[in-house]
Amino acid sequence: MIVAKQKPIEEIIEEVKDSKKLLILGCNECVTVCEAGGKKEVAVLASALRMYFMNKGQEITIDEHTLERQCDHEYLEEIRGNIDQYDAVLSLACGVGVQFMAEKYFNIPILPGVDTCFMGATEERGVWSERCQGCGKCVLAKTGGICPVSRCAKRLFNGPCGGSTKGHCEINKDVVCGWQLIIDRLKELGKLDDYETLAPIKDWSTERAGGPRKVVREDLQA
Amino acid sequence: MPLQKKIKSGDFVVLGEFEPPKGVDFAPFLKNANQVKGRVDALVVPEMGNAVLKASSLGGCAMLQEAGVETVFQVCCRDRNRLALQADLLSASALGIRNVVVTAGEDIRFGDHPQARAVNDLDVIGLLETLQKLQGGKDLAGIELKGSPTYFMGSTIDTSTPGGLLEIELDSLKKKIDLGVEYIITNPVFDTRRFQQFVKRVDTTQVAIIPTVLLLKSAGMARYIDRNIKGTSIPSEIITGIQKAPDKVQECIAIAARITAQLKEMGMAGVLISTVGWEDRLPQILDEAKLS
Repeated sequence: MIVAKQKPIEEIIEEVKDSKKLLILGCNECVTVCEAGGKKEVAVLASALRMYFMNKGQEITIDEHTLERQCDHEYLEEIRGNIDQYDAVLSLACGVGVQFMAEKYFNIPILPGVDTCFMGATEERGVWSERCQGCGKCVLAKTGGICPVSRCAKRLFNGPCGGSTKGHCEINKDVVCGWQLIIDRLKELGKLDDYETLAPIKDWSTERAGGPRKVVREDLQA
Repeated sequence: MPLQKKIKSGDFVVLGEFEPPKGVDFAPFLKNANQVKGRVDALVVPEMGNAVLKASSLGGCAMLQEAGVETVFQVCCRDRNRLALQADLLSASALGIRNVVVTAGEDIRFGDHPQARAVNDLDVIGLLETLQKLQGGKDLAGIELKGSPTYFMGSTIDTSTPGGLLEIELDSLKKKIDLGVEYIITNPVFDTRRFQQFVKRVDTTQVAIIPTVLLLKSAGMARYIDRNIKGTSIPSEIITGIQKAPDKVQECIAIAARITAQLKEMGMAGVLISTVGWEDRLPQILDEAKLS
């Protein structure tokens, strides 16, 4: 899933302070799972903002709504009928949702309420960590199912750098060395030969080097 | 004698580490280099060691070559993509720089521009492959070069990694040797007996080992390294030796000279003496170590 975290309240206040009628729009997908922008977070944030502006004596109407997804035309259409009454929308979706909203509702400011962080997994309640950087050319078959692009700080493809200590990365002792994980797993799978083989020089053209990316499936197009 | 030839001949080589300035005043850099000209076989010019902004290794090498000093160009994967790396490698060759040491580069977070974006387009193995391709007359895209470079290829190794990780370093060394690496520069050595354990694991007929001798500057620096630098221990007699010495700087120089002499005695291919800002003291170390 896409992992996000809510922006600091001061930053959100700065974004919305000139609004008279604000819609806080949650998303029921990834940001709900990582507890940054679902229905519950919309309600909590709305209350906090109402209190803040009330204390300041500033009049503002704040409505709440949560869509099934903000990255899909179908669900975004749901609010077409009443969006014009707002002078701004604070979207708690990831950066994709914010942008898709902005493309669809061109004349209303769509403001981000979360910082979109990475594609990751829930390690435990309240802890999410990165697993994929969407490089566009998956090498997991050769690396024991552990990704050197997202798990190694230097994105190395041929084993660890000299900075690995007791299975941890030189950048931070709380970060596990991706290559230690890869080697341990290859050992477990009896596939250490994969480690001995030189990895071909990575083709980054499928990553971000070629500008914004697109996947087109002609067989699915109308 | 050129560095490559001297290493091949089995003669002990002496390298000095010369960091380019943070700024454009190369005068002290060149003055210090002139002091050791003819006494060192080459000067290694780091590429922004510890990710701290300095003038580039290529710039430093070009200045030194111009002054008649052989250099070792350090190329790291951290800051440039494959286009920029190849461009600099071609320029280096055209400037007469043949010796290249390939490293990954310390993480940007350790440096003075922690907000920068690391590149790491190629890793060390990929960069070594690139050097081979260029020497073969083609760039990484397979396009023919007008005139191909020749390099004397080296890399670095961390000999202090504990247990299983040393195995991994040695595996990685094997890959590097297969890709044309002929010499490896190690992390600083303070305990030569412990270092000997590492040396035993390497086939020195395949690759020349050039340990680094780091000039300590104070007992405090020695203690800091001992406590904080992973896998590096400094024998307590070295630290107390500095503490008790009436002339602490002289003692630090004597320690570096002593380790250098010990490494020569052990049959190492050479040493890299790193003086970290005290390059003007390098002649004294060479004197004390009785090197040319």
